Amino acid sequence: MKKILDIIPEQVKRLLIPVSILILSFILLRSFLIPPDFGKYGHYRASAVDEIAAKDIKYIGQEACEDCHDDVVAKKNMSYHRNVMCEVCHGPSAAHIEDPDGNKLSAPRERGYCPLCHEYIPARPTGFPQIVSESHNPMKACIACHDAHDPAPPEVPKECEACHAEIARTKAVSHHMEVSCTRCHETSEEHKVDPRNFRPSKPMTREFCGSCHAQKADASKELTRIDLATHGERYVCWQCHYPHLPESK
Amino acid sequence: MEHLAAHLWPILDQIQGYIYPNEVELYWRVLIVIYPYITGLVAGAFILASLVKVFNVKELQPTYRLSMLTALAFLIVAPMPLLFHLGHPERAFEIFLTPNRSSAMAMFGYVYIWYLMAVLLLEIWFDYRKDLILWSQQGKGLKKWIQKLITLFSKDISEKALKFDKAAVKVITIIGIPSAFLLHGYVGFIFGSIKANPWWSSVLMPIVFLFSAMVSGMALVLLLYQILMLSRRKEISMPTLDKLADYLFYTMIVAFSLEALDFIHRIYESEESIKIVSQLISGKLFVSLVVIQLLLGMLIPLFTFASIKLFRFPAELRKLLYFVAALLVQVGIFTTRWNVVIGGQLFSKSFRGLTTYKMSIGGTEGLLVALMFLILPFIILYFLIKILPPWKESGTP
Repeated sequence: MKKILDIIPEQVKRLLIPVSILILSFILLRSFLIPPDFGKYGHYRASAVDEIAAKDIKYIGQEACEDCHDDVVAKKNMSYHRNVMCEVCHGPSAAHIEDPDGNKLSAPRERGYCPLCHEYIPARPTGFPQIVSESHNPMKACIACHDAHDPAPPEVPKECEACHAEIARTKAVSHHMEVSCTRCHETSEEHKVDPRNFRPSKPMTREFCGSCHAQKADASKELTRIDLATHGERYVCWQCHYPHLPESK
Repeated sequence: MEHLAAHLWPILDQIQGYIYPNEVELYWRVLIVIYPYITGLVAGAFILASLVKVFNVKELQPTYRLSMLTALAFLIVAPMPLLFHLGHPERAFEIFLTPNRSSAMAMFGYVYIWYLMAVLLLEIWFDYRKDLILWSQQGKGLKKWIQKLITLFSKDISEKALKFDKAAVKVITIIGIPSAFLLHGYVGFIFGSIKANPWWSSVLMPIVFLFSAMVSGMALVLLLYQILMLSRRKEISMPTLDKLADYLFYTMIVAFSLEALDFIHRIYESEESIKIVSQLISGKLFVSLVVIQLLLGMLIPLFTFASIKLFRFPAELRKLLYFVAALLVQVGIFTTRWNVVIGGQLFSKSFRGLTTYKMSIGGTEGLLVALMFLILPFIILYFLIKILPPWKESGTP
């Protein structure tokens, strides 16, 4: 043993002291600091599950609101906001249930909150009501015109763009910019108040597009003309051409 | 809830095209730009130091210790941006206690500790041991005791012991080179392995990162060497500076070729992401990628180094050109990190839209904190140089 110790240079022996202190303290710290139930279910502390379950509940759910505010909830449930839960706007409400007078709830009254869902973004589904805040009654709060519990617009939208913003923007820069929506889509008045049950029509025949684009159509001379008999005869036009941006490929 | 609205609403204005809601805001901000930049400087400075010990490049001897101390100063700061970004630095040690072997990010702690403890500190210790013993014998007061403590009160400066020190330094450097590659290659690996992001996902990423790291580390030591020599009113050794610039030049050629290869490969492959990527390059990243990274940070320095090699400029002009070129390289490599980290988050995974990043000034992830992390390594380096002077004349015969 002494021989082995003699072979090790002096500086290495000294170095071994802090290194072994480091390694030993690491091992010791590990045994102290790692909770005994770590790794029981996975790479986490098993008792963390119980601790999280024991935390105070902040959100209470819509059913609890209904106990007192049944009229408001009933109104909301009949409206377009039927899938928006009360606490989305009013915030966590568990404390309010415990002490309704002590913990009053509020809702955002300024412009700015509603656009989080309703500002125009191309990623939002078409048909979902979207506005451009700068041009949509810029000085008014949303709730000045819209009742959040029944948000159907106070006036029936005048333009299709109110809901179909992305299509309107695409069409506005296309060769079809002059063609009004209703030229191709027959739309009943009911569609504006009950859009899903009263859907607009779509052109179903080749002749419809042909009324402008066929060789002999009675339309402006600059329009692209095709021979309906030979041009993609087995398909309806919009199966190949996107009518809202017909020049796209 | 209203503060959320106030925060998110203005960002909606910045969006172009089709972008998913969770991509509007960037989650990896300027601190995540700083982190690979600093780690790169560490790896680069160390690899430069290893040229002296392993490859016996005598001309670079005056920069050996400076490179090691620079690597150490920057390595100490390297994890700090991450801790600030994640929050709760007091919990950071837990990744060592319960290592998550399936997470590349979690394993970085071990790569870092290995590099700090087993490579840098050990190599510096063996290299300085003899000098520290002699300094502590001559010194007085607190400094003497600090020096004694660093040597762990060892006294043996016999020829046998010194021979062992020398051998130990060589062995550690040989282990250190792959370790330095691992340290920074790992950073590239993190980005390169994010397969959902076409701007990042590339097998070449670790190696591109590595070479840009070497470029930035060498350029930093070149700058520091000149500045420190000037501030000490000592003569700058031109063979050292020329050799350093030579290595920087060659490494830059490799780095540039690799980046060009990556770029050409992307264009030739023309995957579905190519349109949004070209929109990104020609739009939001044009200034930082084409003007700063490529032109100012790569082509102009390359041209400068090449013309110095071709024409015989006087020494004073060479010093100035090296300095300016190395400074441009630093700016270029910093924007390289910016373009990778920020650029990769500016476009939507739908490949149809772009968002914007606006850096805040204050806050835990703002400009001021970022500047602090860029200045802090130099302050640490100042103190390291005070305790462990890297100059030849400070050493004892």
